Amino acid sequence: MYLKELTELFGVSGYEKKVREYIREKIKGRVNLIEEDPLGNLIAMKKGRIDKRLLICAHMDEVGFMVSNIEDDGRLSIIPIGGIDPRAIIGKKVIIGEKEIPGIIGFKAIHLQKDEIYEPPKMENIKVDIGVTKKSEAENKVKIGDFVAFSVESKSNERWFSGKALDDRCGCSILMDIIHRDIDLYYDTYFVFSVQEELGLRGAGVSAERIAPDLAIVIETTTSGDNPEFPSDRRSTELGKGPAITFAHSGYVVDERLFRWIINVARENGIPYQIKRRTVGGTDARRIATTLAGIPSAVISIPARYIHSPMSIINLEDYSNTLKLVSILLTKEARL
Amino acid sequence: MIIADVLRSLSSTDGPSGYEYRVINLIEEEVKKIPDVSAEIDHLGNLIVKKGGQGKKIALFAHTDEIGFLLTKKESDNYWRFTTIGGIDPKAIISQRIKIYTRSGDIAWGIVGMLEPHLQTEETRRKVPSLDDLFLDVIDGQDRVDTGDIGVFSVEPFLLSDRYFTGKALDNRVSCATLLYTLELLNNFIPKAESYFVFNIREEDGSPGAKTVAYRLKPDLAIVLDVTHGDISVPSMPRIELGKGPALGVGPVIDYNYFERLKGLAESISVNYQIEPLGGRSGTDTDLIQITRGGIPTLLVSLPLRYMHTPYEVVNIRDIEETARLLSYFVARGGE
Repeated sequence: MYLKELTELFGVSGYEKKVREYIREKIKGRVNLIEEDPLGNLIAMKKGRIDKRLLICAHMDEVGFMVSNIEDDGRLSIIPIGGIDPRAIIGKKVIIGEKEIPGIIGFKAIHLQKDEIYEPPKMENIKVDIGVTKKSEAENKVKIGDFVAFSVESKSNERWFSGKALDDRCGCSILMDIIHRDIDLYYDTYFVFSVQEELGLRGAGVSAERIAPDLAIVIETTTSGDNPEFPSDRRSTELGKGPAITFAHSGYVVDERLFRWIINVARENGIPYQIKRRTVGGTDARRIATTLAGIPSAVISIPARYIHSPMSIINLEDYSNTLKLVSILLTKEARL
Repeated sequence: MIIADVLRSLSSTDGPSGYEYRVINLIEEEVKKIPDVSAEIDHLGNLIVKKGGQGKKIALFAHTDEIGFLLTKKESDNYWRFTTIGGIDPKAIISQRIKIYTRSGDIAWGIVGMLEPHLQTEETRRKVPSLDDLFLDVIDGQDRVDTGDIGVFSVEPFLLSDRYFTGKALDNRVSCATLLYTLELLNNFIPKAESYFVFNIREEDGSPGAKTVAYRLKPDLAIVLDVTHGDISVPSMPRIELGKGPALGVGPVIDYNYFERLKGLAESISVNYQIEPLGGRSGTDTDLIQITRGGIPTLLVSLPLRYMHTPYEVVNIRDIEETARLLSYFVARGGE
């Protein structure tokens, strides 16, 4: 499991370099082929028993920000990259650009707020403070266009893991674990660590086109909503109940044959699983499924709480059950 | 002393109102490094450091407590409701990791969760959850926490740049650091005053700490050190800026003669200062000290601070140096 290192890396959509380099370093020598496509997707291949191709994909990118302007007082204006709730970003530490300059997101003190206490902050009022007072000083440290990521140390015990970017470094970690296990793969298996998922599934399709697989499985980290404020009938998954298997999500109804196959394998092997109960949100599967002449695709996710915020949580049993399920699936022929 | 180092230890030590002893103990250790002073912790937990001298009795106060959290009600499994000690903006609480001190002395950890954007509706997106709607997801030590346990923001302080320092509880640990530095500088003088450096408890809780010590000491002059909002424009008020020296309070709770003397001294020793008009009460320990035991002349000296009561407050190291320089001269000259 590489979650600690993976989640602490800086890898906002469009700037996945550090995550890619880390993964490449850890998997090199353990795959038959490793390459990077023009967009920055990392592709690794391990030979299987038959001459057919399976693509398994997890995205490297995380939500974050970009410096959009340097103000006269030296504070930085930022714009979101991916879906971020402005209510969850105040009072956080961030790192900026290649050199990872530290900054903080402060906000008007509660004593000075009137009615706006219960108003979601507007992005135009969110500024990053890097400890300077002049534009010129700030320009010595950062520049417009620098990427900005939350800086969060992960924390875990035997049951839980918390930190940033669990969506979808969990998927990346699962893929890396599988590469490290000596699994008797059925297909020639292409492991794709994709870019720019959070910007509208932009990376994975490019890789799928290059690989032309016979089928694809996307490993994601998904929503749950299993908290006391959210009605239980609107939750999508629950932590601790096993990998979530998607039958349909925004823009794609999962290939029914693959959906059934995954459930059967989970049942046959006594692996707990849950069907994801909501169809909101999309994954790279949507893009892959419509690539070339169409690629049957499926989605398996690790349930998580509070994703797209700087502090999300997964249950480590869900992680190991997901790993177990995917490891078994990859040894088998899919029923297509 | 190295100010940033002392500030770092002060900020990372936890002590919400009523639970300041860890901070008090830390300051007592720092005081031991300073020669020719005597220290005592009173029956309530205030630390009083005496520096001998011939002349008036001057007491300087800095509160040691910080804002924090109290667990109030277990909702289910690992979910807890909480309330705050001191006023905290709910927007600054969302997606924070909270360190919880359990009754057994162990540490537990929780996260203030925020529902994933994917599952939110137009309606829920429009407002910031109130404290009643927020919850703590206790993922480490859920069997050990209990109603009444206290919590603090889990934040590592750091130097934001060469002179700006950020972290939690700088309100009012920055004043604690300033008093310690003043004590150190006072060693360069033969003071014409008997001075007491008071590190008091419970300011965020309505000032019972400072008032009781003021009663006991009955000083000829009390100087309160606290923080004020810096680098933000408040309508009809002068803009107080970080790096431009201490803000000297003026108004009904301030003794006008001593104020003029302190201002005059600042000018003669070239300490930059700013003036903070205080209409009515100041919202600091000053208000209660002034009306204690027959009335005590009071001064309020404030260090400018950004983003008060958020997890990353910001101060300027130079302000600490300059404030300590001014106060050491003022005490050494017997308040003249």
